Amino acid sequence: MLRFEQVTKSYSGGFVALDRVSFHLEKGEMAFLTGHSGAGKSTLLKLISLIERPTTGKVFINGVDLSRVNKGQVPYVRRDIGMIFQNHKLLMNHSVFDNVALPLVIEGFSGKDMTKRVHAALDKVGLLDKVRCLPHTLSGGEQQRVGIARAVVNRPPLLLADEPTGNLDPELSKDIMNVFEAFNQVGVSVLIASHDLSLLARMRYRTLTLKNGRMINDGLTSSGADE
Amino acid sequence: MSILFQGRATGATAVKQSLWNKFVMFWIHHLRQALTSLGEIWLTPASSLLTVAVLGVSLTLPVTLHLMVKNLQQVSTSVDQAAQISLFLKADTNETQIAELIALLQANPEVADVQFIDKSQALAEFTAESGFGDALSYIEDNPLPHVMLVSPRNTSSVAASALLASLQQERYVELAKLDIGWLERLDAIVSLVRQVAIAVALLLMVAVLLVVGNTIRLMILNKKDEIEVMKLVGATNSYIQRPFLYTGIWLGFFGGILTFLIEEVLLWWLKQGIANVTQLYESTFTLQPLSLSELGYLLLVAVALGFVGSFLAVRRNISQIEATGL
Repeated sequence: MLRFEQVTKSYSGGFVALDRVSFHLEKGEMAFLTGHSGAGKSTLLKLISLIERPTTGKVFINGVDLSRVNKGQVPYVRRDIGMIFQNHKLLMNHSVFDNVALPLVIEGFSGKDMTKRVHAALDKVGLLDKVRCLPHTLSGGEQQRVGIARAVVNRPPLLLADEPTGNLDPELSKDIMNVFEAFNQVGVSVLIASHDLSLLARMRYRTLTLKNGRMINDGLTSSGADE
Repeated sequence: MSILFQGRATGATAVKQSLWNKFVMFWIHHLRQALTSLGEIWLTPASSLLTVAVLGVSLTLPVTLHLMVKNLQQVSTSVDQAAQISLFLKADTNETQIAELIALLQANPEVADVQFIDKSQALAEFTAESGFGDALSYIEDNPLPHVMLVSPRNTSSVAASALLASLQQERYVELAKLDIGWLERLDAIVSLVRQVAIAVALLLMVAVLLVVGNTIRLMILNKKDEIEVMKLVGATNSYIQRPFLYTGIWLGFFGGILTFLIEEVLLWWLKQGIANVTQLYESTFTLQPLSLSELGYLLLVAVALGFVGSFLAVRRNISQIEATGL
């Protein structure tokens, strides 16, 4: 589903954010991406969502070489990837409904079809009763769940999450993770960047660990990840 | 259309729709976006009103100049209609020769009408109107020539001059006269004013483009975060651009309406003054307001300016906002 082949990303000034990273995320697999801040987690996610391009090496999604995707095609690639952000990236002056509906509106949905899908997505994250609310009236955990609903509303085969539990207490974090697990169980590939090691230890999924831009561990959460 | 996943049904386009259905949806979609943009303008009335005001005032000047040209032309054509050529005949012309000349002139296709004024009749008129009264009776011979007043069929000054030149060649004509000097001067002034109007209009149109462009640019910057989010969830540039283009169109439209209103107030205000002047000149001149088709052109130009202005701003600014995300 998602494959990195010797991917290096260096920025002008010589800073190497990722150094020859290779890994393969299978279809329907759920994995964590961990490491200290600055280890290259965000850079790796940016390469997948085409916010950045690799300096050398190749990224494949479903066998498609992303270096062949031109600028005009980038939006269409992003429609196939559900993205969840640490700071939610919600439109604060639009209702929860409008926020979740945004990817559908962009794709040209309207009317009943759209409403049905938005309600289904909000139902999955348990926020159906907040559909008319504005995001700033919601708690941090609820805002994060709105973000998740938006990411899954057009049923993407691949889900990326950047520190989805960043500002949440452990109880809420568990709820959020349960939501991801539920999506994974219906066949969605999920990659979650997180530095919440205790959470990862509990979840027991494959964990990719980055350190100074290098992939130092690829396997179940183990001693290699916590230093 | 999915690039990564062949056959993944995405978007409403993946749902089978009839051509007619698609056509209707296309227009409904645009109408909805146009109305949304209108709503956005309504939400930020202060800056939008300011822009509309600048547009309205800027367009008023060229429109006023246009009306001036139009009304001056009306004056010059109404005078043109009265243009007549006076033929002063040679003193020794006799009755038969006069009749011959009248027949000749009437046969000329360039001539609309011929009026003969006998020299004794002319003297009588002159005695009655000049105020010299009895003094003229001391003149023994009538010094006045026979006169023929010829109305040209084509009343434009060029055609009238041509006719004048040909009549000058007639055998019994001493002198042919057409007073078109001041008409030519008026024509020259009108065309000068028209040129000034075009230059002013072009400059102000550029100003309008810049004002609309700047307003839209500020709107884009205000919505930078929102645009970023839209890019992250897969919105194309053209999708993000559309509401701003509609905003530009609305700004232009309202600017055009405002111009029309200002113009109407201006005309109403000038009406009395112009009536006073025309009364003094005993003229039948009436002020021509903006016609319906001219209003249509005005709105069309205003909307086009709004569209082009926002297009320039949008093209530069939206692609510059890149999703920094994550």
